[in-house]
Amino acid sequence: MNSSLHLYQIAIILIASVMIFQGGKNFVRRKKGQTFLKLLIRVIVWGGMAVVAVYPSLTNDIAELIGMQGNINAVILTGFILVFLMIFKLLSAIERLEQQMTEVTRKESLQELREK
Amino acid sequence: MATFSENKIFIVVPAYNEEKVIQDVILEIQNAGYQNIIVVDDGGTDNTRAVAERAGATAIRHKINRGKGAATKTGIEAAKLLRADIIVTIDGDGQHDPQDIKKLIEPIKNGRIDVVLGTRLLDPAGMPWYKIIQNKIGNIITWYLFGLYVTDSQSGFRAYSRRAAELINTKSDRYEYDSEVIREIYLRKLKYIEVPITVRYTEYSMGKIQKQSFWNGVKTVYKMIWGLIN
Repeated sequence: MNSSLHLYQIAIILIASVMIFQGGKNFVRRKKGQTFLKLLIRVIVWGGMAVVAVYPSLTNDIAELIGMQGNINAVILTGFILVFLMIFKLLSAIERLEQQMTEVTRKESLQELREK
Repeated sequence: MATFSENKIFIVVPAYNEEKVIQDVILEIQNAGYQNIIVVDDGGTDNTRAVAERAGATAIRHKINRGKGAATKTGIEAAKLLRADIIVTIDGDGQHDPQDIKKLIEPIKNGRIDVVLGTRLLDPAGMPWYKIIQNKIGNIITWYLFGLYVTDSQSGFRAYSRRAAELINTKSDRYEYDSEVIREIYLRKLKYIEVPITVRYTEYSMGKIQKQSFWNGVKTVYKMIWGLIN
């Protein structure tokens, strides 16, 4: 760790802390839809970002550990991650549309029943 | 003991292209003593709705096919609109025996229970071995993802009290619906009981069951996981 932190590192630590704190709060208060799995994913994602922000050299160690070195590999990996995120977003959108379609279909069927 | 009027018991039958058997299913339910029958034609391409209406059921229709779970939920909503006190869901392919309805609604009538799950696995005589294995895998996955172990997480033959029908809020449209109900029972802390039911594996119903192929099973599991993370 450097002796002094850059502004972006402080910002990431603050944001990650807030996100983890909120996740923990939702879990403790048993908010609807909050599961331990969700909290765990939140801690891993945001905690991982904070750790990488504080120890940037860690990414080199990890890259070396999994045998992935060189810039081109990083570019390809980033591309994969972006594509993955896009697919995730698309699937979410499709799921939402499917649910909305079902709701509209259901409302129409029940309207028919009300008019009988 | 809570008091329930017999004419506030509603039987919901989700059906997709079941015109060959739906009349018999309705007649059997009527002969078992239940006249309030709601058939939900899930956007089928045959005359299921017309046949159901002729047989004396209240038939409503999804304009497009939305899946068994969606049709069941629409039927339950319709029963709520018609002021049902107890709602029973039963498959439209004739695999369930309407004589079992009495067993399913009894614990709710006694006021002890919110949801009664019909289970094929407490007495699986006559059930094909691969169906038993499929079911056990489904039960384990449901338990792991949704927190409650039941002996037949995929059964569509169930009974709900009015309270349970108001509380249970599902989003799944297809076969994962049955497991999502288990999750809702767990999350809403509803009182439930499992009651053995008989299943008739006729050539027709087996043909339908075959449609729940291995890949459909994988798709169902994927949908269950997706529902959790999304």
